[in-house]
Amino acid sequence: MINELLLQFSEWLYATGGSRAIEESYYLYNWIETTHVLTIMICLGMLAFIDLRMLGYAMPNVPASTIAARLNVPMMIGFAIMFITGLLLFYAKPVYTNQSIWFRIKMVLLVVAFFNAIRFHRHMKASESTWSHEPRAPLNLRISAALSLGLWAGVVTTGRLIAYDWFHCYRDLPAWLGAAAGCVAE
Amino acid sequence: MELLPFFEWAETSFLGYIGKNYGGVYATFGQSVHLMALAVLGGSVLIADLRLLNIILRDVPSEVVADQAHKWFRIALVVILSSGIFMAAAVAQRMYYNDFFWAKMSALLVGIIFVFAVKRPLLKGRHDEINPIVIKLVAVASILVWFSVAATGRWIGFSG
Repeated sequence: MINELLLQFSEWLYATGGSRAIEESYYLYNWIETTHVLTIMICLGMLAFIDLRMLGYAMPNVPASTIAARLNVPMMIGFAIMFITGLLLFYAKPVYTNQSIWFRIKMVLLVVAFFNAIRFHRHMKASESTWSHEPRAPLNLRISAALSLGLWAGVVTTGRLIAYDWFHCYRDLPAWLGAAAGCVAE
Repeated sequence: MELLPFFEWAETSFLGYIGKNYGGVYATFGQSVHLMALAVLGGSVLIADLRLLNIILRDVPSEVVADQAHKWFRIALVVILSSGIFMAAAVAQRMYYNDFFWAKMSALLVGIIFVFAVKRPLLKGRHDEINPIVIKLVAVASILVWFSVAATGRWIGFSG
């Protein structure tokens, strides 16, 4: 049921003028994708340094709270650009993207990364006065930081794999995989 | 010097064979690792350069930021070069005829020379002894060079 609704929504998006205009424009589509990929340097670059600081591998002599607070702003700016360009990329190829198993895994990983980030900030704010000058954060925050790096590595990998149609609906897929990829019986 | 035979050989090498015949390995160990290294490399460049431009981390000495960022820059550079060589080997002959590949290689060479021959030697000492305009020019040049490397890299995939 949910796959039928998502497919109908994707087909409606695909038929809109804006969607066609983006996909059919060589420069517009490719520059949106380039911006999406390059913003990885701002968003994930800052995130990597925050997480590496928590793990004790980057700037151990700078208070962790300072690194987190100062790099959070450019990271969120980068995330906003990635989010907007990501929406536009989906808008340009909604049917293909909706039925990509990699896109769906990426969305799940993004949601998990979001909740991990909330947990991380909550724990950090509650305890930072006691350890901020230590080279490494407490264990529970280090676990969150390592999890964050792993989840974002997964987001990057599945994001890159969206371009590959190894498990697309026109392939011969097992039923469970077809359902997970959003395939709908003709 | 004729480079085509080298590119032909690269495609038949072990790395070229793996990349060409195992799409999953190419996409994950090649492309995804390349992107993850880009995040760290670009992040280290931006953190150092935005600090030199007094935009971020203004309450942390720029010497500390530049030193730590450079440490991770070197690590990311090794990973990005390794994954890049792996990817290029699989499609070496196509790369040879791709203008954006050569644009990227040129920008990359300029970037590496700029970092190790200009930026790093300049920033090794105390930053308050350097003309602030020179520091800002170096930061802007660094961002532009590495943006060019990344952008031309992405456009390799869009052209042929």
